[in-house]
This record gives sequence, structure tokens and C-alpha cells, in this order.
Amino acid sequence: MSMIRRLLALDGVNVVCHFRDDGYLIEGYGLMSRNDMDRLARFARDYRRMIQGNADQLAMFTNMRGWTPPRGWVVRGATQSVCGVANLVCVVDSSGAPLNEILLELREVSHW
Amino acid sequence: MEDIVGMGIASDLLAKPGVIAVGEYAYRGDRFSYRGALTEEYARMASIMCRATTMGANMEGAMFEALRSGSGLHPPRGWVVHGPAHTVCVVANMFCLLDNTKASINDIVGFMCRELASVTPDMI
Amino acid sequence: MTKLDDLMKLPGAMAAFEFRGSGELLEQRIAYPDRIDESILDLLAHMCAANMSIATMQARGWEKVTTMKGFYPVQEFTLIGFDWSVVVSGLHREQYKQAGKFSLPPFMGVVMANDKADYEAAFTILEQPESGQ
Repeated sequence: MSMIRRLLALDGVNVVCHFRDDGYLIEGYGLMSRNDMDRLARFARDYRRMIQGNADQLAMFTNMRGWTPPRGWVVRGATQSVCGVANLVCVVDSSGAPLNEILLELREVSHW
Repeated sequence: MEDIVGMGIASDLLAKPGVIAVGEYAYRGDRFSYRGALTEEYARMASIMCRATTMGANMEGAMFEALRSGSGLHPPRGWVVHGPAHTVCVVANMFCLLDNTKASINDIVGFMCRELASVTPDMI
Repeated sequence: MTKLDDLMKLPGAMAAFEFRGSGELLEQRIAYPDRIDESILDLLAHMCAANMSIATMQARGWEKVTTMKGFYPVQEFTLIGFDWSVVVSGLHREQYKQAGKFSLPPFMGVVMANDKADYEAAFTILEQPESGQ
């Protein structure tokens, strides 16, 4: 089994994707079409870079340690949330999914 | 500046009225270079801000393209922030700081867009 | 003649629009509905609201950290797309804020074709005092 596919076993995780630095989808699993997974991968790549920019500027303007390098991001919607860590992105249920556990698992898997 | 093209463009820009400083920033990593009335630290900060905003603009352009192909916004060429006394013009991987009382923004933007038209956003 | 109509007279003007700080599109003028429609303009308005916030954050941070002034408040943000540019202004909002008012006027913007774009003329119209001021 692909290492990232095990993330689908977590409660509330509906989709998981692994993407390259250029946004190309390497592999994706779950309740989403391939086309939409391609879009999700590009979105997650762009978001990762946006968060990097946010963290760089926050550190720069505040001289405060602890912002960079950023570890990830979460966008919480009404019923679905999207979370990204490194080159992994998950779509999860906004209620019921153990987001803390999912984020820890994403971090663990991202190191492999 | 390390890049020959950038060096030529920077010289031309610095010769224009109202141009305070010119810089080049990397899309990936934190390499930068600059010329003009800016400290190295401020140029470094400017390169960080330029990279962040350009990444955002490219994301937005790609979204528009996904919504409506041929939207005319993608890929973006650059962006401009116009303040009370200063303006920052960013085209491709170069930025230019202007004194509003002396600079012609139309001239600067037009020049940068022409000279940097061949710089592709592939590396973004 | 409203300011939106004045903006539409700019060379290459494709559309002119007002939007809230939260991005909702308000009044609009569209020259070529087959090229820009309301749904595009709605997304553009939300994008511009985000960019104005980002540029304001950057201007405030820059002035705070460096000794340079004259960046804040951001008067206009311009995105130069491949074929079109969009210029948006929050100057009147800033003037209201500085006057201590809580009910702020909307942002205003114009979309122009790059080959004809006159950014300075766009700035001039956007910065004109509101009628009654």
C-alpha cells in the first residue's frame, strides 16, 4: 500500500494527494475525480508557496522567531476542510474529523 | 547584478527620472541583487515581499484561467503598488522603487514590460 | 456622470466596478460582456480586496521596519495581467478611516487592455475627490 494511502484510514479523511514542487500530481486517493485531484494539487502547491511568503514577511516585519519555516495550512469550510503539510494535501470533513491527529499524521508521512 | 540582461535593464531604469532603486529577486530561494539608493537589508526585504506577492498574483491568474480560458490575466506580467510618495513596480523578477514626484509610471511600466517580455514564469 | 463612467472613458477600458472590503461586487460597468462578465468581475473584486489587504500589510510593515515613509496608505494596487491590467483604489476608504468614520465607501477599480493602458490617468480619476467633498 502506498504510504500516503494510509491517511485515508483516518476518520473523516476523504481525499489525500501527493504532489511535486511544480504542482504535478504524483498520486492521489479518495472521493475525487482525477481532474479535480490535479486541480487540488496545483492549489495546494500555490497555497504552500503563499503560506511561505506570509511566514517570511511576518518574520521579517516583526523580527519574531517561530514563524518560519511554516509547517502547513488549513482552510476550514462549512462542511469540508483542506489541509496541507509539505507536498501533501488532504480534504477532510469539517465536523467529526480529528484534525489534530490528521495534521500529525501528515507531518509524519511527509518525512518519508 | 549577476545577470547580464538584468544589468542592462537596471542601468537603463536607473537613468530614468524618479527611479530610486532597482532590484532582481529569485522566484525560488532567496537570491537577490540590487542597485541604487537602498540598503542590502531593505533590498533583501523587498525581494521577499516581491516573491510573495508575485506568487499570489500567479496563483490568481491561474485561477482565472481555470474559470475562463483566455481570460487575459494569465500569466500575469507584474504588479504595481502606488503610495502617497513612492511607487513600487514589479515586472517578472525585477522590481523598481520610484519617487512619485519625478517618475512617469506609464513610462517605467511600459519599459519594464517590453524589456522583460521574454522572461517566462516557468520557474515560478 | 459617475466616476465609473469616467473610468470607462479611459483608453482600453474593459470594465469599471465598485466592491466592498469583503470582496462583494457592487455597481459595475462592462464594455464587452462576451470578454468580461459579472462572474469574472465578482472573482476579480474578491481578488483585488485580498491584494489591497496584502499591499496594505506590506506598506505598514515596510514603514515600521525601515525609516522610509510615503508607502502607506496604499492608494492603488495594479495587477498587470498578460493582456489586461486591473487598477483598484482604496484611497477614499483610507481618508474616511483617518477622519474617524466607520462606514467606509467601497473600493473602486478599472480593467484596461494593456496595449492602451494609461495607469496614471486611471490613478487621477480614482483619486478625484468624491462629489460633495
